[in-house]
Amino acid sequence: MFTFIIRRLLFLPVVFVGVTLGIVLLMQLLSPTQRAASYVTSPQQLANVEAIIKRYHLADPWYVQYWTWLREAAKGNFGYSKVAKMPVLKAIGERFPSTVELALAALLPIVGVGIWFGTAAALNRDKLIDQVTRVMSIVGWSLPTFVLGIWLLVIFYGALNWFTPGQITGKHAIELANEIANGTFHRYTHFLTIDSLLNGRFDIFLDDLKHLVLPVITLAAVSSAQIMRVMRSSLLDALGQDYVRTARSKGLAEVVVNNKHARKNALIPVLTLSGFTIIGLLGGVVITETIFNYPGMGSFIANAATQLDYSSVLAGAVFIAIIVVLANLVVDVLYGLVDPRIRYN
Amino acid sequence: MKRVLILVAVAAFAMVAFGQSAKDTFVWQTFGGVDTLDPAMAYDTSSGTILENVYEPLMGYKGDSASEYAPRLATGVTVSQDGKTVTYTLRKGVKFQSGNDFTCKDVAYTIKRDLVTNNPASAIWFLAQPFTGSAANASDALGKDATDADYAKYWKMIDGAVTCPDDYTAVMHLHAADPAFLAKMAFPAAYPIDSKWAIANGAWDGTEATWRKYIGQDGHNTYLNDHASGTGAYQLVSWTPGQRVVLKANENYWGGAPAIKNVLYQIVDDQNARILALKNGDADRISLGSLSALSQVEGLPGVKVYNRNGDLGWTSVTVGAVSMNEKIKADNNPSIGSGKLDGKGIPPDFFTDVHVRKCFNYAFDYQAYIKQVLLGMGNTINFLLPPSFLGYDKNVPEYTFDLEKAAAECKLAWNGQLWSNGMKLVISYNTGNLQRQTVADILKSNLEYLNPKFNVEVRGIAWPDFLAAQRAKELPVYISGWAPDYADPDNYVTTYYDGENGYYAAYEGFNNAQMNQIVRQAATETNPEARKLLYSQAAHLAYDLAPYINLPQQRPMMELRSDVQGVYLNPMYSGQFLWKDISK
Repeated sequence: MFTFIIRRLLFLPVVFVGVTLGIVLLMQLLSPTQRAASYVTSPQQLANVEAIIKRYHLADPWYVQYWTWLREAAKGNFGYSKVAKMPVLKAIGERFPSTVELALAALLPIVGVGIWFGTAAALNRDKLIDQVTRVMSIVGWSLPTFVLGIWLLVIFYGALNWFTPGQITGKHAIELANEIANGTFHRYTHFLTIDSLLNGRFDIFLDDLKHLVLPVITLAAVSSAQIMRVMRSSLLDALGQDYVRTARSKGLAEVVVNNKHARKNALIPVLTLSGFTIIGLLGGVVITETIFNYPGMGSFIANAATQLDYSSVLAGAVFIAIIVVLANLVVDVLYGLVDPRIRYN
Repeated sequence: MKRVLILVAVAAFAMVAFGQSAKDTFVWQTFGGVDTLDPAMAYDTSSGTILENVYEPLMGYKGDSASEYAPRLATGVTVSQDGKTVTYTLRKGVKFQSGNDFTCKDVAYTIKRDLVTNNPASAIWFLAQPFTGSAANASDALGKDATDADYAKYWKMIDGAVTCPDDYTAVMHLHAADPAFLAKMAFPAAYPIDSKWAIANGAWDGTEATWRKYIGQDGHNTYLNDHASGTGAYQLVSWTPGQRVVLKANENYWGGAPAIKNVLYQIVDDQNARILALKNGDADRISLGSLSALSQVEGLPGVKVYNRNGDLGWTSVTVGAVSMNEKIKADNNPSIGSGKLDGKGIPPDFFTDVHVRKCFNYAFDYQAYIKQVLLGMGNTINFLLPPSFLGYDKNVPEYTFDLEKAAAECKLAWNGQLWSNGMKLVISYNTGNLQRQTVADILKSNLEYLNPKFNVEVRGIAWPDFLAAQRAKELPVYISGWAPDYADPDNYVTTYYDGENGYYAAYEGFNNAQMNQIVRQAATETNPEARKLLYSQAAHLAYDLAPYINLPQQRPMMELRSDVQGVYLNPMYSGQFLWKDISK
């Protein structure tokens, strides 16, 4: 197991070079003027495009640009993000904690609801709960995030005014900014939930949780539908296997057969899917973030890509690649725990 | 399960916090985002909005006027006979938010720092012009082969740009008289920064020994990018890029502490969320985004739409035009088809024939644009200069939608060949801009209606490709826009009509000697009456030459909670009004 993990981690530098080189080469398909477009935001700047190309070395050959970037990256300088308006590493440091908070808050309902309903549906095949689950999964699966998000916003913010979009209400934002400036609120971890608790600000903690409700419902409705379907079909498949029949013929109680013998095996594809889900959530969820004005990684990387923000795209891609490798590693390790047949030696 | 649901519902109610920002708090929700807080770098409206409340000009605009000035950090200003020496008398007893005293040293440092850095993406180019005679920074102006002696000479010019006979007198020494100078000094780049504080925090130290290191400096990623120390009525508390800027009242403000104590400038990119926030009172002002959403805001209780019916007389300072390129790139250009007047394309010099340009001007349905795109809230213009600016002559004729006249002009074009052979034309716009797309669609449908042999394609191009194609002069017809940097007609007229110095004129190959001469004379004319006359002449000539289709202007409006008092519109402010002037 240990050598397997090391082997996987050694793969990271290869991914780093592959991803960054790929992006640098892709950017060469654009002319220096096209690359200068991200610096030109008002018609007034149009007259200075030539000077901008010169100032930011946009016409240098690709290997010079790549070498400059690598050299700076080795020193820990990944460049300035034009989209985030701060150094790229700082931007990731600011946004990733928010994304992790949202991802963790969403993961529990996504996986919990998915597994619970999927199991109930499989065990009660063609009964009411199965029919309901199937309808729920089809609706959830086919409902576009932006439609559900806007509905939730209109109902729970517009009509009822229960939940506001953003990460924190205006009043708390002002208080927090003043307290941070005065040194009375410390940002130990950059996770707002944790920091508010560490600073004894339960009101801010609750406020942050409250702001997670609508995005979590939106994400859970869509993503749990997938898990529900996979769980149901995988469990049905397992229930028809010989070893389940054997377990039953041994006289084991139905609960034990279902939970210990069938469900454990049925969880393997769910685990894979959950791995992909968490990768997706950690990489950011653009539409949900935009609708609920949630400052996560998704909108950052999407904006960087559309605005050709070179440094952010490079660093963002490296970051996502690392998450994908690590999340896959975790899922692979978990396989071994769930299924004793899988060993990595 | 039931119990869980009840618990969730109760918890939700328990956490409810009903809206309405506090009486001394002003919340403005907008989209986009602040780019930088360094006045020497800022060139976008969001950054401008923050800067104009934190820093201050020497002479600022008077209330909602874009042409009259009122004392701010200066108590008065005099301009010498030859227009080349401008003397400001500075206000005494003013302190920066850091606690440092404001003196002439800060004024001199600010201007010199602007002239030294002059990053090509910044607004300094127009401030540099009157001081150095060039819009470029030292290294771009001097070129690659410049010697140390050249740089030393350039430094002398920068160093002598502002002198301080005493702490409270600042004398500006201009390279040439510039009637727009006072207007240029009202742009945030010229707002004095706290020199002591800036130098202590890593900005240029103000000496000849180091200045060359700072030429063209990109102020992002420096201390001044996300910190501020101005003399203004508001003080920066924090800026979280992409999310919010929090400011508090400067209780020591020389003009008296403002009524609004906290300002939250929030970035909310989703339009629905902004509208709901205004409805719930979480926002006191929102930037609407698209005109079509106006119906969702109108009539909401507690919400007021300012100038909805033009009742406040607010007019726009933004102009838009359809450019008709007279010197289209001939080789390897996918936008001109065959490159000949054979019905399968257009020749590269297609628009050099004035009849083609007049035909297009008559073929645009101005009223349909006002009705469909501006939802009835717009006005036509006869020259690419806002009617509120000096020199706009409302007696100059303007083109109206007239298909008969359009047909007559098109029949005259290219000795009748255009009419008999037809054309295949591409109109381009940058994707995502719906207004521009509609302009192109209106023009297409009318041109195609004129003659079945006229074939027009509307092409949306992503911004980077649009920029590259425009610079390569590949686009035959495209739509452009301009908002002012400084309140002077020259900022528009040179841009659109000076065939050598004007950005749009040069790119579309419009170069008329008579027009160039009038525009240049007007740019340096210091007598306002004489200037007016020159601009009127230019407008008449522009009517005859028809280099652009002048697009109607959209009526400016503002959407705020009705308890906000003291709202006005000064088109030269990025935020339309200063927060120190409002209350709730």
